Amino acid sequence: MNQDQHPAHPIARRWFLQQCGVGAGAIALQQMLQESGYAAPTKTGDIQDPLAPRKPHHPPKAKNIIFLFMGGGPSHLELFDNKPVLGKFDGKLPPEELLKGYRAAFIDPNSKFLGPKFKFAKHGQCGAELSEILPHLSEVVDDIAIVKSMKTDAFNHAPAQIQALTGSQLFGKPSLGAWTIYGLGSESKNLPGFVVFSSGNKGPSGGNSCWGSGFLPTVHQGVMFRGGQEPVLYLKNPPGVSEHLQRDSLDTLKALNQNRLEQVGDPEIATRINSFEMAYRMQSSAPDVMDITQETKQTLEMYGAEPGKSSFANNCLLARRLVERGVRCIQLFHESWDQHGGLVGGLKNNCKATDQASAALIKDLKQRGLLKDTLVVWGGEFGRTPMVQGGNDGRDHHPNAFTMWLAGGGIKGGTTIGRSDDFGFNVIEDEVPVHDLHATILHLLGLNPHRLSFRFQGLDQRLIGVNPAKIVKKILA
Amino acid sequence: MVVRTCSFLLLCLIASAAFLFQNASAETEKTTQIDFDFATDIRPLLSDACFSCHGPDEEHREAELRLDLKESVFGAHDGHALIVPGKPDESLIYQRMITADEDERMPPVDSGKKLSTSDIEKIRKWIAAGAPWASHWAFQPPEKPALPNVKQKQLVQNPIDAFVLEKLEQQQLTFSKPADRITLLRRLSLDLTGLPPSIQEVDQFLNDKAPNAYEKQVKRLLASPHYGERWGRIWLDAARYADSNGYEKDAPREVWLYRDWVIDAFNQNMPYDQFILEQIAGDLLPNATQDQQIATGFMRNSMLNEEGGIDPEEFRMTAMFDRMDTIGKSVLGLTLQCGQCHTHKYDPLTQENYYQIFACINNSYEASIRGYTDEEQHKRQALLKKINAIEQALKAKLPDWSAKMAAWEQTVQHNQPEWTVLKLTNTDSNSQRYFEQPDHSMLAQGYAPSKFTSNFEATVDASELKALRLELLNHPNLPAGGPGRSIEGLCALTDIKLTVINPKDPKQTTSVKFSKATADFSNERQQLPPKYADQKGVRGFTGPVAYAIDGDNTTAWGIDVGPGRFNQPREAVFRADKPFGYPEGTKLKISLVQMHGGWNSDDNQTMNLGRFRISCSSADNAKVDPVPDPIRQILQIPHTKRTPEQQNQLFSYWRTTVPEWSAENNEIEALWKQHPQGATQLVYQERPDPRSTHLLDRGDFLKKKQVVQPGVPDFLNRLPQDAPVNRLTFARWLVDRKSPTTARAIVNRVWQAYFGKGIVSTSEDLGSQGAAPTHRKLLDWMSVWFMDQGWDLKKLHTLIVTSRTYQQSSKVSPELYAKDPYNRFFARGPRYRVDAELVRDIALRASGLLNPKVGGPSVYPPSPAFLYQKPASYGPKTWIEAEDDNRYRRAIYTFRFRSVPYPMLQAFDAPNGDISTVKRTRSNTPLQALTTLNETLFMECATGLAETTLTQQVATDEQRIETAFRNCVSRFPSASEKQLLSQFLTKQRTYFADHPEEAKQLAAHNKTKTNTTDFAAWVALSRVLLNMDETITKE
Repeated sequence: MNQDQHPAHPIARRWFLQQCGVGAGAIALQQMLQESGYAAPTKTGDIQDPLAPRKPHHPPKAKNIIFLFMGGGPSHLELFDNKPVLGKFDGKLPPEELLKGYRAAFIDPNSKFLGPKFKFAKHGQCGAELSEILPHLSEVVDDIAIVKSMKTDAFNHAPAQIQALTGSQLFGKPSLGAWTIYGLGSESKNLPGFVVFSSGNKGPSGGNSCWGSGFLPTVHQGVMFRGGQEPVLYLKNPPGVSEHLQRDSLDTLKALNQNRLEQVGDPEIATRINSFEMAYRMQSSAPDVMDITQETKQTLEMYGAEPGKSSFANNCLLARRLVERGVRCIQLFHESWDQHGGLVGGLKNNCKATDQASAALIKDLKQRGLLKDTLVVWGGEFGRTPMVQGGNDGRDHHPNAFTMWLAGGGIKGGTTIGRSDDFGFNVIEDEVPVHDLHATILHLLGLNPHRLSFRFQGLDQRLIGVNPAKIVKKILA
Repeated sequence: MVVRTCSFLLLCLIASAAFLFQNASAETEKTTQIDFDFATDIRPLLSDACFSCHGPDEEHREAELRLDLKESVFGAHDGHALIVPGKPDESLIYQRMITADEDERMPPVDSGKKLSTSDIEKIRKWIAAGAPWASHWAFQPPEKPALPNVKQKQLVQNPIDAFVLEKLEQQQLTFSKPADRITLLRRLSLDLTGLPPSIQEVDQFLNDKAPNAYEKQVKRLLASPHYGERWGRIWLDAARYADSNGYEKDAPREVWLYRDWVIDAFNQNMPYDQFILEQIAGDLLPNATQDQQIATGFMRNSMLNEEGGIDPEEFRMTAMFDRMDTIGKSVLGLTLQCGQCHTHKYDPLTQENYYQIFACINNSYEASIRGYTDEEQHKRQALLKKINAIEQALKAKLPDWSAKMAAWEQTVQHNQPEWTVLKLTNTDSNSQRYFEQPDHSMLAQGYAPSKFTSNFEATVDASELKALRLELLNHPNLPAGGPGRSIEGLCALTDIKLTVINPKDPKQTTSVKFSKATADFSNERQQLPPKYADQKGVRGFTGPVAYAIDGDNTTAWGIDVGPGRFNQPREAVFRADKPFGYPEGTKLKISLVQMHGGWNSDDNQTMNLGRFRISCSSADNAKVDPVPDPIRQILQIPHTKRTPEQQNQLFSYWRTTVPEWSAENNEIEALWKQHPQGATQLVYQERPDPRSTHLLDRGDFLKKKQVVQPGVPDFLNRLPQDAPVNRLTFARWLVDRKSPTTARAIVNRVWQAYFGKGIVSTSEDLGSQGAAPTHRKLLDWMSVWFMDQGWDLKKLHTLIVTSRTYQQSSKVSPELYAKDPYNRFFARGPRYRVDAELVRDIALRASGLLNPKVGGPSVYPPSPAFLYQKPASYGPKTWIEAEDDNRYRRAIYTFRFRSVPYPMLQAFDAPNGDISTVKRTRSNTPLQALTTLNETLFMECATGLAETTLTQQVATDEQRIETAFRNCVSRFPSASEKQLLSQFLTKQRTYFADHPEEAKQLAAHNKTKTNTTDFAAWVALSRVLLNMDETITKE
């Protein structure tokens, strides 16, 4: 017995197929895109997949981005920014004028200077200086651009990470990855467009908001993957549900949903059918991409990756595999760099865990011709104080000057820009605030950082905030 | 800046007089008819394209030109009239928009702003039609418009329909047919309670032939306790509710009493104005009740950063900015946030205005109180009554008790040695931060390590010292008032250590040995609760104060007197075995060893001292004052000036000193043991001394500019004149009838919850940059009506759900879809996927697993364990999966960690509570499909639904399919649906017969008499049903 008193117009099957073909579009989202004055809106009335690839504002230099986020605040003074003068001042108090208005997290700012703990040497054609604990990176130094003049505003982990990844110390803003997907859509049909991994001592201080969608539609948020056979939550069929039953169930479900679509005419049902089909495809594609036993021994060794293990090295290799499958945005967190004490040992361990794989990622992408389309960014939320914390083996958080490096699509390899003062305390040349880094990344991805906006709370919100940001031209190829 | 906006409205009035004159002289092109409205069509264009540089923000204003104010728009610029009504070609504004000269054209190319050709044409037409002007619609208080005259009067069931039909008729559209009764009841049930109707409820409604059958259902559902859960959850989004602090540590917090207060307020149908008032300033109401204090938890739902090395004031300010944003979004429907750094670019809100509002709410402690549930309150009252009865009996037994007590008072008045309070300096790095209070006590704030030693120094001009006194004191910022920092406000002192140094010759140091310790209270030797174990599971002991000088890190002085009396000040005196100090003066280095916290400092396992003061004395045989501090304070008040309550407190203490009354005293102690535990709740609590509020340069809390007095912006309603400007008055102002946006904001959001979109689609912003209302008259009519009805939400719900507009079928033809894809004209009923919580609740209800219990602490349904461990989470979090029926509570009760959101809820777009959310997005993704297909709880629901279906008395497969189907979507399956499902069932039976191992796994929890193969097939079928689009959709 059908209780429907008013059978609706059965919807033309042709129409259904059309809509279904156009894909996983949420109507409300489409409306939002239009209302937002998004840079490249689709024709009014189209039901548009919010994740469908979209035209960039200008021809992009990079299609994908891999952000190696070194949570905790790596010491620029031990890794990139060689300060022999600081060594000479080891054990002496900093000049008074340097500390004016300076706030430190843990230490009394008026603490003694601590000289650099490692030796530096010049490498490559470009002669860039790197610390002895980055032997692998020194091999690809001609492919990377080092920015020694990064500056941020926050000196506590969570606010600084949120700023580094969403442009604001206040929570609730979309992450760089979410903005990228919002601007460009996703090339991958069977995998999320924005994938996140975490390795190291702990998870990122900024938590889930580091890859959140903020006020953007939630489809743009990052999806956390982890090693093993179930990289995505609930990817595996539950016990007792075989591949056969899953397919059968989906077929019946599809028929029931189609039935309803014809009854009520809501294209959202077509989207739902698509979502289930994509979920099904993801059930096989996601474990496949995670299966690094498919890699040669040589490749595994290059990264230092080991099947079955959960490590930064594995995650770097997986990042390359995801890029090959059209995943636009990959963020690797390695939260281990907070050396308030145990500076020497901690940094050695961290470099052991990350240096080889980071360099291998560049080499591997390059040898496969992927580096020209992929932007790789390495860095954390801030640097560390030239002043000592504790005995003589620790440094506190330092926002005024730190180092990051970039490589790949659109980046001029073998470049070093920016300078900090003799103590690595303040930037004295080519200062790059976080917003400028974001502007540069978006620019390379083909997006105009000033135009990429979303109307929320009455404002055209941007990753770079309300004030103009500069593109760091000196590192562009 | 303030002066200018003050006069904003006044100037408008003057300008409109001038405008009349101008208008009269501009008859030339008056023939042009415009089919649009200035407020909703033209003003937004100007706002978007022009106000950023020519708006309220003085700092960024270009050419000293303001286009948001009438007098300036109709004035001249460099001798040219900006607008000549009726004459676009003579109007500078229009000319600058169409000029071919790129350098001249407005808006400038590099501004990123753009006006389309059709926008410019609209502006031309508007000027041609005489350029009628009005200030932004939402800043004028709503007035009740007359009901429109519609053609199809018979279709108007209530006033809502008249307004909707007016627009429909303009579009040559009409209402869809009414939805069938089953669809309607399911829609109503989901809308009002968040749960689908049971089959019985559906049948009852189908069989009810009374003309008011539907109205009866509305009443029934509005009276359901689940109504408060459904609408409470919507408010909790706006209130950014979560069960953890957020940021790096993201420790759990106890705030569920606030969540229950919200649910209760909805169920009690508290008027909306009162609802807001209590949340902003409930604590300031006369004789504020516990509930009214708990309501202010709304202000405290901000995130809290407790990572090491923070400045607590910096993050208090961040929380204040969050409170401003929340009040803006959730109550006013306006964007205040801009004002933090600069004057609003679009709305007439200056930066000074922002800090005026800020000043209204800037004088609270970050307090926490202990609250009790209703049940606990009853128990507590009964207990206190019994204790009182015993005390009365004692008084009766000893008629001259009063004289005896007075005599005792004399004996204790001056029996204490002299103590010198030490001015302490903390010498550690800034891990836990100490703030010196006016009485030289230290208040611990910020990160709370769980095993550590804190070190202090003080220098005194004394030698021959003999003892130290440690006072543990209360403070509103401590959990439940302290004196400790544990979740109960307790602490444990593992050891106190003292070294003295000769300040003139630091090489002379002595380590002081304490030989005797006394305390006004110590608990019996007891092991710490399991929460405070170390990683090997070893737990320390607390007990007598002697434990604090035994040099043993496993024992500590404990002050746990038990529920009901946790939060009292305590003190201890430590006597040295010989006098200490130097004739030249004495520097004391005091170490407070606090090793009795658990291993995970991010999980509320701290046992730290919260606020304390240390003194020294050279008196002989110093020992602790047995009379507690609060009693001492009463003793200092002359007899005649004490209140009866103070006399009673005095008696309650004094009786414990009377040896003959030991039986009664023991009896009372035994009663206290039965006292309920209660729970803590973050609240707002006014400080006695006002904090001054400064305007902050670029919103930087270190860059204070001028002091700003509490106040409100002039473009909104005025503050009540007869009251001091404080938080309570501010709260009253928010819900004043004259507020132009308060009623509109909530009515718009109620509408949004029913129809998927608000009448103003930007429900977070009704200001100049917000979207124009699709049905402004309807919104205004409902808003005024709502206020007229006493801000009665249940009446508003009744009005909406009894309209024809609401009751239409949601089916849509391709033609109608093409004409109105987003249903902005309401020519059909709403149809969309339900909110995250409902997705889960529907599955639980359909499967028969739902535990309908309302309220209580948040619960831990199944969730992947790795999420709460490193490196997925920053630190390890406790998630002890509920194995009892708490597993099946409604999703509103699921514990919410901000940094690790519950995956199922996150997949379906539930916000994580970082910021106030008044509008969720509604996505449709593969991750959602994976969740409903494979997640643990959904599989349990599939099993539950199979069980419900199979335990049905005598039934055929077909009947069973029908029941299962109806449990999910309420309606009966069609013939083709039944056929699809029974084919599926048959096929899977065969399959499972051939694959017994798989059947065994799928039917692992078979509690029915059905065989494994069959049960597995039914589980598979139930899983399909639970995954249907229709199951999780409101049709």
